[in-house]
Amino acid sequence: MTENNKYWRGIEDQSNPELAEKLAQNEFSNEISQADFLGKDELAEGETSRRDFLKFMGFSTAAATLAACEAPIVESIPYVVKPDSLTPGVPNYYASVSYDGFDFASVLVKTREGRPIKIEPNNDAPFNGATNARVQASVLSLYDGARMQSPMVDGVAASWGDAMAAARALKTENSVLVSGSVISPALKKAISKLGLRHVSVDAVSQSARADVYENLTGRRGLPTVSLDKATTVVAVGADLLGDWGGENLMGAYAAARKPGEGMLRHIQVEAGLSLSGSNADARIKAKVSEYETVLAHIYNKVAAATGADKIAAPAVREEIASSVNNAAMELIQAGSGALLLNGLNSATAEKLAAKTNELLASEAFNTTTLEYTSTGSDSAFNALLADVKAGAVDTIITLDSNVLYFSAELAALADKVNLVSIADRADETASKAKVALPLSHYLEAWADAIPVDGVYAVGQPTISPLFDSKSAVEIVNGLAGGSESAIELIKASASTTGNAKAWNALLHDGFASTPVLVANYNVAPSVDLSDIKVGTAVEGIEFYTYTKAGMGAGSNANNPWVYELPDPISRLSWDNYLVMSAADAVALGVENYAQSNGAMNGNTVNITVNGETLENVAVWIQPGQTQGSVGLAVGFGRESVGKVGNGVGVNANALLATTATYASAEIIATEVEHGFASVQLAHTMMGRKIVNEISLPTFLHGNAAEWNETPTFETHKGPLSAFEANLWDDHDHETSHMWNMSIDLNSCTGCGACVVACSLENNVPVVGKDEVRRHRDMHWLRIDRYYSSEMTEAVAEEEGIGAIEKYAKMEVPSESPSVVFQPVMCQHCNHAPCETVCPVGATVHSREGLNHMAYNRCIGTRYCANNCPYKVRRFNWFNYKGNEKFADVNPSQDDYGRMVLNPDVTVRARGVIEKCSLCIQRIQLGKLEAKKDGRILTDGEFTTACAQACGSGAIVFGDVNNPSSEVSHLKQEARAYHLLEEVGTQPSIFYQTKVRNRA
Amino acid sequence: MHYESPVRNPLILGDKSYSDITNDIAKPVESKAPRAWWIAFSIAFIMFLWGVGCILYTIGTGIGVWGLNKTVDWAWDITNFVWWVGIGHAGTLISAVLLLFRQKWRMAINRSAEAMTIFSVIQAGLFPLIHMGRIWMAYWVMPIPNQYGSLWVNFNSPLLWDVFAISTYLTVSTVFWYVGLIPDFAMIRDRAINPVQKHIYKLLSFGWGGKAKHWQRFEEVSLVLAGLATPLVLSVHTIVSFDFATSVIPGWHTTIFPPYFVAGAIFSGFAMVQTLLLIVRKIFKMEDYINIEHIEMMNIVIMVTGSIVGVAYITELFIAWYSGVEYEQYAFLNRATGPYFWAYWAMMTCNVFSPQFMWFKKLRTNLIFTFVISIVVNIGMWFERFVIIVTSIHRDYLPSSWSMFSPTFVDIGIYIGTIGFFFVLFLLYARTFPVIAQAELKTILKSSGENFKKHHDEHGAH
Repeated sequence: MTENNKYWRGIEDQSNPELAEKLAQNEFSNEISQADFLGKDELAEGETSRRDFLKFMGFSTAAATLAACEAPIVESIPYVVKPDSLTPGVPNYYASVSYDGFDFASVLVKTREGRPIKIEPNNDAPFNGATNARVQASVLSLYDGARMQSPMVDGVAASWGDAMAAARALKTENSVLVSGSVISPALKKAISKLGLRHVSVDAVSQSARADVYENLTGRRGLPTVSLDKATTVVAVGADLLGDWGGENLMGAYAAARKPGEGMLRHIQVEAGLSLSGSNADARIKAKVSEYETVLAHIYNKVAAATGADKIAAPAVREEIASSVNNAAMELIQAGSGALLLNGLNSATAEKLAAKTNELLASEAFNTTTLEYTSTGSDSAFNALLADVKAGAVDTIITLDSNVLYFSAELAALADKVNLVSIADRADETASKAKVALPLSHYLEAWADAIPVDGVYAVGQPTISPLFDSKSAVEIVNGLAGGSESAIELIKASASTTGNAKAWNALLHDGFASTPVLVANYNVAPSVDLSDIKVGTAVEGIEFYTYTKAGMGAGSNANNPWVYELPDPISRLSWDNYLVMSAADAVALGVENYAQSNGAMNGNTVNITVNGETLENVAVWIQPGQTQGSVGLAVGFGRESVGKVGNGVGVNANALLATTATYASAEIIATEVEHGFASVQLAHTMMGRKIVNEISLPTFLHGNAAEWNETPTFETHKGPLSAFEANLWDDHDHETSHMWNMSIDLNSCTGCGACVVACSLENNVPVVGKDEVRRHRDMHWLRIDRYYSSEMTEAVAEEEGIGAIEKYAKMEVPSESPSVVFQPVMCQHCNHAPCETVCPVGATVHSREGLNHMAYNRCIGTRYCANNCPYKVRRFNWFNYKGNEKFADVNPSQDDYGRMVLNPDVTVRARGVIEKCSLCIQRIQLGKLEAKKDGRILTDGEFTTACAQACGSGAIVFGDVNNPSSEVSHLKQEARAYHLLEEVGTQPSIFYQTKVRNRA
Repeated sequence: MHYESPVRNPLILGDKSYSDITNDIAKPVESKAPRAWWIAFSIAFIMFLWGVGCILYTIGTGIGVWGLNKTVDWAWDITNFVWWVGIGHAGTLISAVLLLFRQKWRMAINRSAEAMTIFSVIQAGLFPLIHMGRIWMAYWVMPIPNQYGSLWVNFNSPLLWDVFAISTYLTVSTVFWYVGLIPDFAMIRDRAINPVQKHIYKLLSFGWGGKAKHWQRFEEVSLVLAGLATPLVLSVHTIVSFDFATSVIPGWHTTIFPPYFVAGAIFSGFAMVQTLLLIVRKIFKMEDYINIEHIEMMNIVIMVTGSIVGVAYITELFIAWYSGVEYEQYAFLNRATGPYFWAYWAMMTCNVFSPQFMWFKKLRTNLIFTFVISIVVNIGMWFERFVIIVTSIHRDYLPSSWSMFSPTFVDIGIYIGTIGFFFVLFLLYARTFPVIAQAELKTILKSSGENFKKHHDEHGAH
């Protein structure tokens, strides 16, 4: 039976077996006429006609031509064996630490395909888990082609073996190791193994302050503060939001100053306008040389109130005496909530502050838990100078310390010694060294740190060294004759610090708690004021140095981001300059004036301090500057740092002895004109409600409808708000997400971390001084700074001043201004003026409340930028990634710098508009991750680069359609308002009213 | 009973016969170019080349070679654009509107006025193109079906309306102008001796035969095109003004803009016609055709439109105050007293005060004075656009973004280049085209009647 079974291969086989058979044999039914086409002698008889030939010929030519049109393939080599931890397109994060002698931060390093591309804060870290602008920018310093590419002996590239041998040969008993503050236990161990005299000196010295605590506690460090326990803080010259100590206080400050009962009151006494002074509730203008007398005066008031002994001190200048008195009274009233901070590098000043806190039993001032990021010793350095002068030193080995740059005294003596320099580049010190040993960037190196009592942190490499460099600990250990690798040294160190975490857990977290190995460390010492001598103020003009939010002490001096970031106060980039009060400027006859294209120019001066003269220093007339006091930022005026930083500004260290803080100066105006790169030409709000600012009593007792009035329009339906008086069809805001951002103007300190973070995240081009000067900075996010003016609407009304005069006077900032900061990025208007005017629809609205920008569709009419009330749209005036003008500054033009670019974000072409996207790449990634996992997005799962970088938590991003999200709560706050709400743009960004703790 | 209006003076002076007109108008085409023409042409051509160089530099390097910045994203580019479009308006007004109103005096000037329209619209059209960051993508403003799916132009954008308005305007004006030229080309063709020249004019005249049917069609087409062109006089500058009026920027967002821009356009256009014709009539000795009455008529138009513009300026100020909007108030205060006050007062002086002199007959019939005022008016109208564009955006809502603008040599070079280009075209036109619509002009020549009257006066009625 089975034989009779018949199976068909298909219906065709059954119905027409012959045809199926024929087809099966001839599977490729169309025969190719190849044989006819080629190789036959009788071409004429072939089936291929001349026509066919031409067709084939034409086709192949066209195909070859089209193939040639394809974009060239850049060498990209796939992994032969893919590392398990690495998936192309998926970032990895590693915990690490960043310490450059000035800034310490616990960070998370974002790497993509093995390249570190972004620094994020390590929010879990107990100490300095936040990042500031400098730490944010530091990732670009890794990709700096100006770094030393191999060891150098006498200026010639050498192998590590030869260089180390040469360095060891120069090392004698009379050699000295000079470094900045050392916080790494492993490095300390290696240094002690080296057995040389070790001089630690900081570019920005806090030495005299550290001396006080060393004498008191036996530990060389600086006090920490707990702002949450303070109710009134008086900071004398202490820029607690800037360079005061190594502790990052942004978050604590913002938290303590949350509007409400018990909001921290902040009084700042200072010479130049700092970030802290700008944020303070009250500001007293005092010269740097008056700080001691101010502190003494406050101390005496407190002493009188608490029954302690007064000290002898010169009287405080009459103009500020009553304000200082009031500050002292407020401290006394605050009792244990009082906090007096000193920022002057003077033992007298520090003792007075510490004693005052002690008398008031301040709970916020902590002299038991010390931090160690600034422990350099000026006296040790002065001793070294004397010994070098005396010829008692053979060799100086510098360890990550550009000492010949910041110490003019040592630079003058450099010929007397042999120099061995362990440095990341041939800087002002290493370029003069006989042996220069390249130091790895912190992202390439193993490191550990005890930045503060009780915290141990480790840093791990996130990339193999780009150049032939090594970590500090490995080099020093090598010089000492050791041969251990860096990881072995760090592991060994970690095991001795007594931290409880296993090695892998330690690496994962980046930090661990560690016992303090000092007996009785938790007993607060008592300050002795018996031999105190309070100095007198400088007659005439004093000169002091300060640090800028971008440059800091100058370790990132070849990093274009720190130059491009405008100074938060002066709003000038790519420069340092003498800040001077208007009264002094008038006396000297110097001015700042705008050019016809909006660029700022100014006069220059020659300044002489202790016989040293700096010529043609630009003068910036700074509202809020104390009369008789001029300041100059350090870190600039580099000669040998790289093509970005060389020749930018002047070296302030040339004027002051390394260990001095201020000195009396002589200033003569010159004929030379200086061009500034100013990003902000008008400095006042012109009576407009841009930054809504109220006082604390108003906030506590006032009516929100009055102090945060919603603009209304008179219509036939009665007064309507801008959201109700609406000509347009609304977008659907209910379905799906609705991304909103809250910016708390009360928390924002203006530090600029968000600006740098945004630039890094979004590949924002750097355009250099000349273009910034022409107001063509490309920042997607800017921090507007406004000064108050003496002229207000109320004053004009009271005095009957006409509109013309009123507005003219409103343009002039007050001499003692109140300062506000306002981060402004694309407001993502839901009725966006830019969207309607684009002729090609290159900027369109998303249903998630975002305003999109399609670079590929943009033809560059710039109509959108004109029609933007917030002026946040940026045009690519040039081909920034190709034009020679930007070759020195724009990272995307550098083979190394290009590696920092975020692969998730397009580098924009010439001729298109760009702007803030609210980090659309992060939103998309977050949504996709949630989708992959099949879950609903949770609040805070991802955030924008600016919000993440913001140390004070001023920026909160999220979905307002998620009723439990933080941003949806913030939107209901009484303080919330939209910028220029009356224009009817319905922004997705909203601001929180600033509250000052004053009547 | 024969009645003759005593007030109407003859529009053509000099006792011309039909052949005189033909000879006079064909003369510049048939004779060799005078030295003055060559000098003028050389200067214009050099300016043109300089402009071409600057445009190529811009396209090669980026818009950054101009003086613009993050706050002032338009300045000379759009100022020049609006200025040139405005100048173009007089041509259409004269040829279309005055045709419909049967204003015969237009016949002597409409040809050149229209030529001026077309040439200035060409200049105007250049700016929206070259001001684009990516000019190579300029075709994206056209609603062309594409492979990007549903990607379409944004019909909400006034800039897109501009594209349609300007291209329609240029097309209609060119066709209208060309239709008018056909009988005149035929006239030159018929007279030409050089065979090449004859052949060219033969092609240009589309086989015009002067038959009654031809004339009938000619008249009909002219009337239809005049009807089409008339709304354009109002629409083009209305739409140009929408670029500003529909925005949210104080000083731009102004509902008065459409009529104000149209009046301003006619104002500046007539001034430009005045400038050009005063030169043309002198050089080509056409005083008999473009006589003092024409000049006076145009001066009256300038005076009226100048006054309308003046009222508009004052209305703007009033509304800014009346609106109670602080941004609006500041914008106008800043115009008059801010850093660009000189531009504002230059505008006021040139556009509002200077045309008021035309109330005096002695002044409006004075050629030198007219010439000076015509130039002054165009300077003023340039400043008007500069004031509207730059002084509004340089200080808008947020003081933090306030800035200033200063042109670079490229900005200036391109502007000079368009003036050069305009004169290159106009000078070429003046040498090769009949600059007066002679065929039309002959319809108002009262030779028989006048000759009879003259004969009658001399010899008495017998």
